[in-house]
Amino acid sequence: MKFLFSIVGLSLVLSSVGLWWSFPDRGSEVPVIYWVTDRNPAREQQVALFHDWLIDESIGETVVLASDQEVAAFHERLLPGELIEAIARSSPAARRLWGEDGLPGVPASLPIEVVVPAVVLRLDTGNRNTVKQRVQSVSGVAGDVMDLGAQDIPFFVQMGVLTDLTEAGTRMGFAPDRTWEAVVPAITEDGRQYAFPCNVGVRMHWVNLDVFDIAGVSPPKAGWTFEEFEAIGKRVVEAANEPGERQTVFFTTDVFVQTMHRSLGLSVFNETLTASDLDDERFVRVLRLKHAWVYEDHLLPSAAEQEAFDTQSGYGGANMQLFNRDRFAMLNLGRFGLIQLRKFNDTRRESGEPLLRLAVAEPPHGGFRNTKLGTRSATVYVDGRPDLAVYFPAFLASEPYNQQIVADADALPPNPRFTELEAFIRPPDRPEEWGVHEPFARAANTIAIADVHSPFVTPSEVARHLKDAEDGLMTHRLTPEEAALQAAERIDQGIRQTLRESAEARADHERRVELQRQIDARLARGERVPADWIDNVFYRRYYAEQGWLE
Amino acid sequence: MPAFASKSRQLRIAAMFLLPNFLGVVTFVIFPVVFSFVLAFTNWDLRRHNAYRNEPIDFVGFDNFMRLLFESDFVRYLGNTLFLMMGIPFAVGGALVAAMLLSQDTRAGGGRAYLYLLAAGVLIASTALLSAVGLGGSGMVLLLTSVGCGILVLGLGGGVTAYRTLFYMPHFTAGVATFLLWKKLYNPQTGPINTALRPVLDATASATNAAPALVSGARWALLGLAGLAFVWVIGRLRRSWADGDLGGGAACLSATAVGVPVGVASAWSFTAGEAWLLWVLAGLAVAVQGAGVVVRGRELRSAGAMSGVGTALVMGLGVMVLMFVLIGLSAVLESLPAMAAEGLEPPNWLTDYHWAKPSLMIMGLWGAIGSNNMLLYLAALTNVPQELYEAADIDGASRLQRFWHVTWPQLAPTTFFIAVMSTIYGLQGGFEMARTMTEGGPAGATTTLSYFIYLEGFETGRLSFAAATAWVLFLIVLALTLINWTFGNKYVND
Repeated sequence: MKFLFSIVGLSLVLSSVGLWWSFPDRGSEVPVIYWVTDRNPAREQQVALFHDWLIDESIGETVVLASDQEVAAFHERLLPGELIEAIARSSPAARRLWGEDGLPGVPASLPIEVVVPAVVLRLDTGNRNTVKQRVQSVSGVAGDVMDLGAQDIPFFVQMGVLTDLTEAGTRMGFAPDRTWEAVVPAITEDGRQYAFPCNVGVRMHWVNLDVFDIAGVSPPKAGWTFEEFEAIGKRVVEAANEPGERQTVFFTTDVFVQTMHRSLGLSVFNETLTASDLDDERFVRVLRLKHAWVYEDHLLPSAAEQEAFDTQSGYGGANMQLFNRDRFAMLNLGRFGLIQLRKFNDTRRESGEPLLRLAVAEPPHGGFRNTKLGTRSATVYVDGRPDLAVYFPAFLASEPYNQQIVADADALPPNPRFTELEAFIRPPDRPEEWGVHEPFARAANTIAIADVHSPFVTPSEVARHLKDAEDGLMTHRLTPEEAALQAAERIDQGIRQTLRESAEARADHERRVELQRQIDARLARGERVPADWIDNVFYRRYYAEQGWLE
Repeated sequence: MPAFASKSRQLRIAAMFLLPNFLGVVTFVIFPVVFSFVLAFTNWDLRRHNAYRNEPIDFVGFDNFMRLLFESDFVRYLGNTLFLMMGIPFAVGGALVAAMLLSQDTRAGGGRAYLYLLAAGVLIASTALLSAVGLGGSGMVLLLTSVGCGILVLGLGGGVTAYRTLFYMPHFTAGVATFLLWKKLYNPQTGPINTALRPVLDATASATNAAPALVSGARWALLGLAGLAFVWVIGRLRRSWADGDLGGGAACLSATAVGVPVGVASAWSFTAGEAWLLWVLAGLAVAVQGAGVVVRGRELRSAGAMSGVGTALVMGLGVMVLMFVLIGLSAVLESLPAMAAEGLEPPNWLTDYHWAKPSLMIMGLWGAIGSNNMLLYLAALTNVPQELYEAADIDGASRLQRFWHVTWPQLAPTTFFIAVMSTIYGLQGGFEMARTMTEGGPAGATTTLSYFIYLEGFETGRLSFAAATAWVLFLIVLALTLINWTFGNKYVND
């Protein structure tokens, strides 16, 4: 038996060594870094673009091959396939280093100059889950480059696992001034830069003009009030559904409560982020309105109706399919919705059907026009190879990457300059889209505001409490007043807990609370407030627009 | 070589073989357990205390535990967990029934094949009849029927092995895959469950609308049945007490259990008006049996006041559940005419606050019936001595009596083990379901304690609070296990 156990033990050791030996990183003399991102066919193209960009920017080793021996030695080097492909793409001369069959060869004319990129980027699409990323980060095994949503970045910054990119950003051309102004709060913390956007999402309502035509209703204007939204919505729903039959056509997929209460001048947190502001009549009004739009006016599907639609078929789930089939007059989504909408139009074009006629409308407002801005941003992990990973955000600010986002319609490009191009505004092969791209860029420049986060409570906790309150209302368990109170109380409870746990947080909180008293006093007296007193990015914008800032 | 040297060498070899496992247990079990205990008394937060951010860790005493009890949703989520655990008795019962069925020989022959074919024929005829009267239009009904027939025919060919495999399938199917499958089944519009329910509800609505007073009046019959169940238990308890099988304390405990539904019916607004019927029947039963106690006294004395408590509790709790079901159904019948007037709609299973928990419970029940519990019962059934059945047959016992007096007591140790383990798993469970199917919603309706621990630990980053919650959960598990042990052991020994 002991021999059997010994053999098993030895086999396990040998297998482990074999596994280690077969690691992809061992097949490359060039350092390999990993990009933790979502599963998307466009990512592979972006990785190839990154390698091409490294070569174009001469980031790596420049090698001059002047003799057959040097070419042979170059072919002997341990370079992974993706780098060889990138080198071959870099110039016609470099292409000749390999034959038509892809095997190494010796070109007729020498010398040839090639650049071997300084780093190989590989995709890791299996670890995009935020909780996984957190655990891996504190365990020292996270990806070198991590995609994070705007709501996740504060948590990772607080954990101390993200590289401060402020200096590198300025030096390498991806400082915050290279992206949208509205995104800056989402990629910086306390004035330091920790991320650069891969793309920028601005939520708008895609409008299916056919449904409006069928209903005989004019499509919405650029900015519409709650009352206009409701009136037009009722007319569309009434005209598009058979009386007495089960409702099959809805006005829109969803409206965001947060956008709505912000339009009434109310944020989740107060000006100094020390407490929740949600126990407020304006939030109650918004909740009541949304409840009525779901259960009385049937402008939006209820959770049960949404569940019934939810076939998970195709990108974006059932809502996009239903929008395509005239079951939704509008679709609340970013520009990235075009990834799927284009497929619908391609299918329609092939089958000879008329193409989707699209327009874009802002979310309804109660006075202050605004919309939700989100971003998927690249961050650099402090462990591993941050010195090399930092090239990736620089690539995100580059022309090839931005051009690719423009062409792919994967939300807005990180650099706003590229939305001024003709290729963005009027894509030559997509005339049916002319007129729908600009509104997104305009909104990002004018009405888009990033989510507000407090350093005293995690964004995921806040999101949970907001969802619970809204769910409570929508399942008829809470009145709008109770839901508003519950949301505010639970957020404040989270803040109190952080204060109990951290002396540093307590000191910061006390300082801010004092400032809040002064702000409140000034506002009560009708006086203006210094802009740098206000940490809440929404209130800073709102107060500026109202002329309440010094 | 001296004997002790050889022994010492053997010990060294044994220790070497044990070492990897021992190290594994120390590293992955003992250390985390001890560490989490210490963690529960600190302010450890992933955001501030990790390898990259080294703020000092403070000991906060019982702060996390106090917050757990007074500030958080712990009690609510404990309630959710306990609600889901209400399915455990049904799951254990289902596993027993499944095991008993699966211990039968189902292979064709001996006239059984005709029985199965007849059953399949009845099913098909019923479907045809439903179609003929316009209620069976749904393809789902036909599908379910054909699946039922297929299973019956499978039994004819493959015998009990085929059924055992089929029943055990939920256990070895990956959890997430089955959860996604159930999510599709629960789809309010296109899901097979609601598609199958819709014609049934339409028929129910039509029947109710045809005679609303009759339906409404039927609630009295159900309440009467609940009252008669109470009468039966009290009579049975009195006889067992008189025969010396039951102690006075055990009988009172069981009687109290069946009294609970009577009290609840009086307090519940849906049944408060009719609860007097239950009180009358209960009062009569107590009076009559009380008189019996006084007049007839006891023939034999029991070993102690709590003698036979296990059996008495099983009976009492079983009837209590039955009474609750009958009382609940009577409330449904009372409301049915008003609901049927507008047409009956199947539930929005996962998105309705009140249906979300039962939905998960039904799904859990499905998984639990064909689980290891069933295998344990199957094994235990084979160990029941045949002589006991033969003796029961000689005494002229019916099938029910054979079960109650022979099978059930012989299975007591297995039932006890299953009850203990199910309680532990029940308290710890629900995470995968909540995460995959509902994300704890709607409005926290399906957030269980294990999911709450995950949320607090990894979404919020409060590891110390999550550890405190886990330790409180452990204490609850321990307390319930001790209760199970105390009463269960008595029951097994009875």
